[in-house]
Amino acid sequence: MPPRKRPPPPAKAPEAPPETKPKISPPAKPIAAAPPPPKAVLSDTVLAALSQHERPIYKLVFAGGDKGMSQTEIRIKTGMPTSTLTKHLRGLTSKGVLKVVNSVHKRAEKIYMDVRIDPSPEITGGTWYRNGQLDSDAVASARRRCLDQIDKLGVATAESIHEGISRECSNLAYSTEQVRDILRTMALDREVEEVRSTGAGEFGDLRAGRVCYRRGGPVQGGMMERIPCGVCPRIDECSPDGVISPSTCVYYKKWLQMDF
Amino acid sequence: MVSQHGILLAVAIISDHFGPLVSKVCRCLLRHGALPLQEIVRRLELSPGQVKNSLLVLIQHNCVQAFNAPRGNGDKTVTHYLAIFDNIVHRQRFSKFLSIIRADIPESEALLEGLLQNGRLTFGQLVERTISKVPEGSITPAREEIRMNFNKLVFAHYVERCPKPEPFFDPLVDEQSTSSRKRAPKTVEIALSIDKKVVNTAALSDAERFSEIPYIMEDASNANDSPRSSISGAKRKHNALEGDAELDSTIAENEVLWRANFEKFTFCLKKKFCADRKKPKLKVGTHPIWEAFFEASLMERDNNSVTSPINGIMERLGQKEGGTSMTLDHITRVLEELNCSPSSEDPDSFILDLSRIVEASRNEEIESLVRKKYGQEAFTIFRLLVRERGPVETDKIIDTTILDKQIVHGTLYKLWKDDYIDTERILSGTGTGNTQYFVWRVKNTFREQFIDNLCHAALNLRQMVNYIAELLLEGSKDDTKLRNRKNILILALTRHDDSLMLFQDF
Repeated sequence: MPPRKRPPPPAKAPEAPPETKPKISPPAKPIAAAPPPPKAVLSDTVLAALSQHERPIYKLVFAGGDKGMSQTEIRIKTGMPTSTLTKHLRGLTSKGVLKVVNSVHKRAEKIYMDVRIDPSPEITGGTWYRNGQLDSDAVASARRRCLDQIDKLGVATAESIHEGISRECSNLAYSTEQVRDILRTMALDREVEEVRSTGAGEFGDLRAGRVCYRRGGPVQGGMMERIPCGVCPRIDECSPDGVISPSTCVYYKKWLQMDF
Repeated sequence: MVSQHGILLAVAIISDHFGPLVSKVCRCLLRHGALPLQEIVRRLELSPGQVKNSLLVLIQHNCVQAFNAPRGNGDKTVTHYLAIFDNIVHRQRFSKFLSIIRADIPESEALLEGLLQNGRLTFGQLVERTISKVPEGSITPAREEIRMNFNKLVFAHYVERCPKPEPFFDPLVDEQSTSSRKRAPKTVEIALSIDKKVVNTAALSDAERFSEIPYIMEDASNANDSPRSSISGAKRKHNALEGDAELDSTIAENEVLWRANFEKFTFCLKKKFCADRKKPKLKVGTHPIWEAFFEASLMERDNNSVTSPINGIMERLGQKEGGTSMTLDHITRVLEELNCSPSSEDPDSFILDLSRIVEASRNEEIESLVRKKYGQEAFTIFRLLVRERGPVETDKIIDTTILDKQIVHGTLYKLWKDDYIDTERILSGTGTGNTQYFVWRVKNTFREQFIDNLCHAALNLRQMVNYIAELLLEGSKDDTKLRNRKNILILALTRHDDSLMLFQDF
């Protein structure tokens, strides 16, 4: 059996990005998204002002709701030529009926949406994104506040951490779900440790089985990361009698010198 | 089964200890599996005498196990020789084994040293060696004293009787009807390799394996001095009993071969590793309880758990600072917080499953190396993939880790290029056109790859030690510096071996 070919490496900036964004669960619930008005009422009022070519375009975009619809998708569904579609979309935008939204995951894609609908977190990226860019400062600030609460409480649930942050910084509008997201990321980073309450001892105030967070310990690595071989970029070419060998290794020489 | 650099490491150990000729034979067996003598001679183009002597050396040092396998369809059998990789690699851990004995039964350290140096010995040979090693002017130990120290080792399972020299084993028979004892738990269906099957076939039963050398009955005139003597009965009966015991003792002394029990030493190191690993994460007041739990452990039934009676724990605690003030309720609660649960077999004992500590430690070592090599973002992403176990989509990785999209893409590419993770493109067809996703998962073989890298690093460290030793022999002006470097390398190799044992033996 011939060896299976390795799949091609993923392109960092694909020239032909996927036409439709994959559906994934939003990291946080939408913040008071305005409910869309009744379709019949909207159709009667707005559709009357549109030309016969603009009307099906608007219906398609409206059907997309808070996820919108990309230009490519509209073209495929309506069957219009690109130049015609572009002209009509520009007209709809200038009339104030539609707006253009950029997706954080596919910046090359133009997504059209009804002006009165707020984009879903799937498009904007949620709370941690601002103008399509990840707001690193907001994330770092949220992590710091969560860690402060954990240091005060010792062992804490997401609810108690959220309660503490809300009490101390009433101007911040974190939701419990957002706090949970931050805590999950911090657990991945090993900054905090995710444990389950036993209902006794230091978990005495918490019901048994609840997910809790506490200060994480340091990651204990082995000797591999402290000798040159562990992080060597040439380890695959190293052999006892080869051109690259322990006896001729520059990393070993550097490592042994450093200890004097 | 054994990785490429694992074989190279084992061959390097044999070459250092026994010379190039024996290492050639060992390499041949490791690469090609069990072979008969004629096949080894044919492959290596050595003389039968050379190969035979090399095999004798390897068998003497428990690195090779012989067994009889059927030849063709007839009743004839031929002797095959199988290299035992684990026993070979254990050779670089002999200093650790001696440390265990020095802490547990210090009076028996010299006996174990003799067994480690010579592979397998009879008790008589061990006595002769011990007496000859006594420095001049010192009191020569009595034979009975040596026997008593030796039986302590056997009782604690540090020393065992050697397995059968040439058991019959048919590789084609899957039932293992000839196996006298199965070590793997019957409820766990582990696919045993042929090496394990041969070792299991050759193994003695536990009772036979650890039976001590019987004591000779004392003469009537000394009956009162011996703690094992009983009231003398009729002279005729006494002589008969003495004769039987003496015969058994003579056989045990001069014919039975003994060797170190590597399983026991490995388990001791495993306990020590798990105890040390978890200690930094404990709260200050719980250190004594954690230590007392491990010190009070009973004779183990399996290699994955530690069982300690509560009375033993409290007794050990009494000898520690602050231990006497702890109440039973406090100790019990702390033990439960440390995942020590009451034993189902004995309600007064606590049992701890070491598997979870071992598994967590393995993951930590790999993840920590990923962080050192690729950065914090790679650490986060790799941990996410390890935890998910299944395929994870790119966008989900971005959302869960709350990392920048470009950083995630770059990191995934680096991990993929170095074979830590795998990728797969999934096409999702819809009416309006095709959408393609990339999903990621940890590579199935990343642990095997890591073990091979561990062996590779150990091999390099050994080579560097030998290289500096050669420089020292040549006589250099920087002897002090060279000696310091050699010590650094030896210390690194010793610590690195802990990781190797964590992934291979625990």
